Amino acid sequence: MTVLRAGVGLIACAAAAAVLISCSGSGTGSRAGADSAASTPTIRIAEHRQPRIDALNKAIPKIEKQLGVVIEVIEYPAPEKDYLSKLLTELGAGNAPDLFTANFDSDVPDMVSAGYLAPMTAEVKAWDGYPQLFDVAKKLSTSADGQIYALDSMLLVQQLYFRRDLLDKAGISTAQPASWKDLLDRAREIKAKTGKYGLLLPAGISWGPGAFNEGFILFAPGSKTPQIVNRDGTLNLNGQGVRDIFRLYKSLIDEELMPVNPLLGPEPWVIPKYVMFPAGDLMATTCGTWCYIYDWGKDSKNPVPDVTKNVGTWAVPGMDGGLSVSISGSNIWAVNAKSAHVDLTKKVLLALCSVEATVAYAGLVGNIPARRDAADNKDFQALTELVPVLRDVDKGTFERSTPGFSVVSEGVARATEALLRKQTDAAGAQAILVKYVKDLLGDNAVK
Amino acid sequence: MTYETRMAWQNRLLLVPALVLLGCFILIPAVTAIYLSFTNDALSGYAASHPQLVGLKNYLRLFSDQGFWNSLIVTLAFVFGSSIVGQFVFGLAAALALRRPIALRPLFNAAILLPNAVPEVVAGFIWISMLAGGRYSTLSRIVGLIGVAPQNWLESAPLLMIIVVNTWRGIAFAMILMTSGLSAVPAEVYEAARMDGATARQIFWHITLPLLRPTIFLYMLVSTAGTIAIFGLIYTLTRGGPGGATEIIGIYIYNQSFVAYQLGYGSAVAVIMLAVSVALGAVYVRVLKVRV
Repeated sequence: MTVLRAGVGLIACAAAAAVLISCSGSGTGSRAGADSAASTPTIRIAEHRQPRIDALNKAIPKIEKQLGVVIEVIEYPAPEKDYLSKLLTELGAGNAPDLFTANFDSDVPDMVSAGYLAPMTAEVKAWDGYPQLFDVAKKLSTSADGQIYALDSMLLVQQLYFRRDLLDKAGISTAQPASWKDLLDRAREIKAKTGKYGLLLPAGISWGPGAFNEGFILFAPGSKTPQIVNRDGTLNLNGQGVRDIFRLYKSLIDEELMPVNPLLGPEPWVIPKYVMFPAGDLMATTCGTWCYIYDWGKDSKNPVPDVTKNVGTWAVPGMDGGLSVSISGSNIWAVNAKSAHVDLTKKVLLALCSVEATVAYAGLVGNIPARRDAADNKDFQALTELVPVLRDVDKGTFERSTPGFSVVSEGVARATEALLRKQTDAAGAQAILVKYVKDLLGDNAVK
Repeated sequence: MTYETRMAWQNRLLLVPALVLLGCFILIPAVTAIYLSFTNDALSGYAASHPQLVGLKNYLRLFSDQGFWNSLIVTLAFVFGSSIVGQFVFGLAAALALRRPIALRPLFNAAILLPNAVPEVVAGFIWISMLAGGRYSTLSRIVGLIGVAPQNWLESAPLLMIIVVNTWRGIAFAMILMTSGLSAVPAEVYEAARMDGATARQIFWHITLPLLRPTIFLYMLVSTAGTIAIFGLIYTLTRGGPGGATEIIGIYIYNQSFVAYQLGYGSAVAVIMLAVSVALGAVYVRVLKVRV
């Protein structure tokens, strides 16, 4: 009987506790509901990496005052891939913040397909900042269906960065390479004369989307497959150009012209970009304007002295000639389709694309505002590393993206990983990419 | 209702809270994972909003996936090296040593238990400072004293290093279990053996080990299952790299599900791993005829 009483008592206590919790919960809920109806709405923004959070916090007070909202910044994990994984998991679960950014243009079409993003074409086109957007930003922000679901507030301007001071010292030409062969020959000359690595292209699974967005894609415009999205939205991954790009990687890896081991570990960018390049152990790498500020510039923990003088830039040469500078989106703001305040969040989004907000990001992160009138801003003019780049944004080339691009990005990471591990050749890497994409998107997705 | 029936119902009633929790946090997620493994569900893309049943496609893909087989081999090597050999040998040795009346015994006990008190991620960062950083790493500085060239240990011997780290972390658990097993061996048995003239080695091989067998296999079962499920320590140390050299199955499942966003495929790997774990458990419990 004692056991019975104990069991009944336990269950009674649990039931009483459940009733109390539910009563107190509902009471709190109704009070919270009443409070929230009377109080200022709160917009939750997901942001990651300290410089970006600092830039966002700089812009927030004015926006709160202007729109009469409270903005809560929710800090996410710093590595891009971890940020996106957490964000996508929450978007899938329906509890993501109201406003967030996508890392790359390649992420957006799949987020649209998943139904995560609220369309905002009318609001963006009616916005007074719209005419100021660079054409490339407008094109990058517009989906295949003609709608705008995410707005590129900043631009990544990427090309090749090299150690002018060290190449001059070694008697190696710093003239613009005219073709991939020229580029390879330059890397070989660097290796022969200095023993240092000649060129780094981001690659491998650990580098995540960077293997595609900061490496592979820069060489597509100058290849025989300049756009990997066909007119009908399918993917042209079987093209000769894709194989040629992998061949370029293969040559760099097999001839030990680029560092391989650091790229196989976690955070593969740390050693090559933050240690080897400043130390002069790596002479050239793909990078964007952020490198002048964040990686080796004023905000770097390991800066290159007089960075704009000692680190020069080359446009990315084409396989057989021609030059390109890659433009892609950054700080691509989007509104959660399940937000409780969709309209208000869109207003906050547009305010975050103002000149002041984008210049705050430019100063702390090193990317280029996506609007022309940023050039007139005094704070931006002080960023002398970025001023000439903004002037030339319209000359850049960009890659169209399509649903399934995040799969292509992962496929390129896997293909380049196989190259890094010397498990395959260029044709094999292309086969890995094609198989991965077909496995996930279906045979008809690839032509 | 007889007294026995009433007692039986009472006992079942007492199990209800535990069953509800098991159902909510083990059974439902497991069944969901099995269901997901037959779909193309994803974190992003069209499949995220419109997942479809794809039959056995994920499983067929898995068997031709080199990455999966690599992670399976790495997992087996990791479990064998750290759990079955490393932790067990050192744990048993520590348990035997600390049975003797030695000075500062509580201090040694505490030193062995300490790694278990450190959270996985913190332990990972501690070992990064030991192993990473080339000539600046603590290990490189130590072995440099005897003329060994500095290196990045997580790149030159990654699998060995994670085995060492996990061994360090798990000795305490093995030691506690072995100590409890040793305390259950009657002192008279040892006394009788000594009176019969048995040497220390003979006592160990013919008395201690056979009588410890149930404890050892209980340890093997628990430790194997626990080691297969390790995630945080390896994720902090290497994230499965370099080049998949330390990509144990938990990391592989995470990479498929949350890095490549393929929830369906990741679930298929998880289901296979569940089957492997159950099979290993069955081997321990049934083939070795030990009642646990």
